[in-house]
Amino acid sequence: MEDVLTESPPPSRFFQEDLDNFAAPPPPLPPPILVLHPNPSPDHLRPTLLLVALSAPSLAVLHRIPHKTLIGTLILPEIPLAGNSLEPSPRDRSCYIYAVARPAPAVLVAVQCPVASERARAVAKSLLGGIQAEKVLILDSIRSQNFRGRLAVDETLVFKLETVEERRYGQRLVEGVDYLPSGSMMDGLGAAILGECQMRKAKGTLMATWPDNGRPIVVPIIRSLLQRLNFDMDGSDGAKEMVAAFTSSSRYDSDLYT
Amino acid sequence: MEFTPEEGKVLSADCPTLLLPGLSIGNVGQLAVDLLISSIGADRVGFLDEPSLLPCVGNDAYGPEPGGVLALPLEAYDSPGHALTLIQQRSPVVRGMMIEFAKKLADFVSSTGKKHVIVLSSLDSGRMKQIAASSEMQVYYVSSVNNDGTDDDCESLGFKRLEEYEPTQRRWSYLNELAEGNPVQGDDLDFEDELGHDDYYPGLPFAALFACCKAKGLKVTCLLCYCSEGDNIADSFQLAGAACKLLKLTPDRFLGHVQGEWNIPLSWKTVYGPPPDSSLF
Repeated sequence: MEDVLTESPPPSRFFQEDLDNFAAPPPPLPPPILVLHPNPSPDHLRPTLLLVALSAPSLAVLHRIPHKTLIGTLILPEIPLAGNSLEPSPRDRSCYIYAVARPAPAVLVAVQCPVASERARAVAKSLLGGIQAEKVLILDSIRSQNFRGRLAVDETLVFKLETVEERRYGQRLVEGVDYLPSGSMMDGLGAAILGECQMRKAKGTLMATWPDNGRPIVVPIIRSLLQRLNFDMDGSDGAKEMVAAFTSSSRYDSDLYT
Repeated sequence: MEFTPEEGKVLSADCPTLLLPGLSIGNVGQLAVDLLISSIGADRVGFLDEPSLLPCVGNDAYGPEPGGVLALPLEAYDSPGHALTLIQQRSPVVRGMMIEFAKKLADFVSSTGKKHVIVLSSLDSGRMKQIAASSEMQVYYVSSVNNDGTDDDCESLGFKRLEEYEPTQRRWSYLNELAEGNPVQGDDLDFEDELGHDDYYPGLPFAALFACCKAKGLKVTCLLCYCSEGDNIADSFQLAGAACKLLKLTPDRFLGHVQGEWNIPLSWKTVYGPPPDSSLF
């Protein structure tokens, strides 16, 4: 049970130091580094779709997509690499970038490390500055402190948000999903990427699911979406990858365990 | 700070007054701006991109239906019929970056030709020296019109100058130096000193906005109310009402979805979360 004295306030409330003009600014960090194959294909730099997996279920599904090729990584200097394997693994604390041919080229980003809210915008700019896709799809999870409705652990919820351009022009990437209710919000890297899409007047969609961990009951929903987007999916339910993704998700970030 | 207009829209040159929130206890300034945008029928004209703001996105806050219009952290709205531009801020500033944020916002406001900036914000009622005998909430103000923060227009409306605004007080003075870009010594403000009552006010976001806009030569009026954390809807109504008094704006001129009256923003239906689960009882 959360300690009501020390738990974080809901996002609409502030700590006193959040409102202090004279608080010390955070130490400056080097910008994120987007590392791609030395001779990137135009399909890698300008794919039809950029898919960013942030939630544990979406990472589990992404790792089960066959025939994907590792083409790069996004390095955050503040994230220690100790404990990462030589070969890309779902358990690594990293952001691996893959290419998939499918009928039209797509680039997949598996965000397997925590990204602080203060860094999210820089990460979004690095990613969207280097890979300029026709459409962007972000798979994120609903966080209970940001959602103003009821959240039951045995209930599956799916909502979306879209940029103006995605809503206005052409067929939507994600159909048959309600918009996030007014009053609720998304934050962190998913919000930063969608916000950056809007600033660039790009077509972007953020799909948020609940629950984020435990039983992978939203995995079939994500698999179904990706199949509609012409990704090959193998038959596994991704349970093993779900455990790996859950372990590496930001919810359980700890410097004690590397 | 970069302004990205919505397609086919520009910031109106017919809106010399800008109204925006100062983040504060109870989010009262932000709630008041929400209420005003919804009620006067202001139209969103663009977004402001600012690295010192934490990211957030959501659905349309105003309605009448949640149509999926994306809401971003810092948005600009125009109401040429009321000669008013409003900026809504939905997410906090990165800790320690408030003064930089205020400077950039002041630079932007100045570049758009605005003449008068009104900041809506709130103060912790636990800081009040005296509890007001009157049950009606007193609105306080700080103005750039006079050096002591007074403004005859505000006085005539029944607002009370914030006594704790003292430009020569160490933190107010330091804030002004920072806002004007004057070099300051590292030990000019000893952060290890115990903070007194008067140190609270210049440390708040409204003070940074006030100092930075004033340093750009803009006329600035801060409207403030004391409140506690809780259901702050009533506080936001009081503050929005005070802003309307200052702007000489009456509800019969409101052009929201329901014209001629206050329009509750759609997002307020769940602003404090869902009702308690009745199956518990």
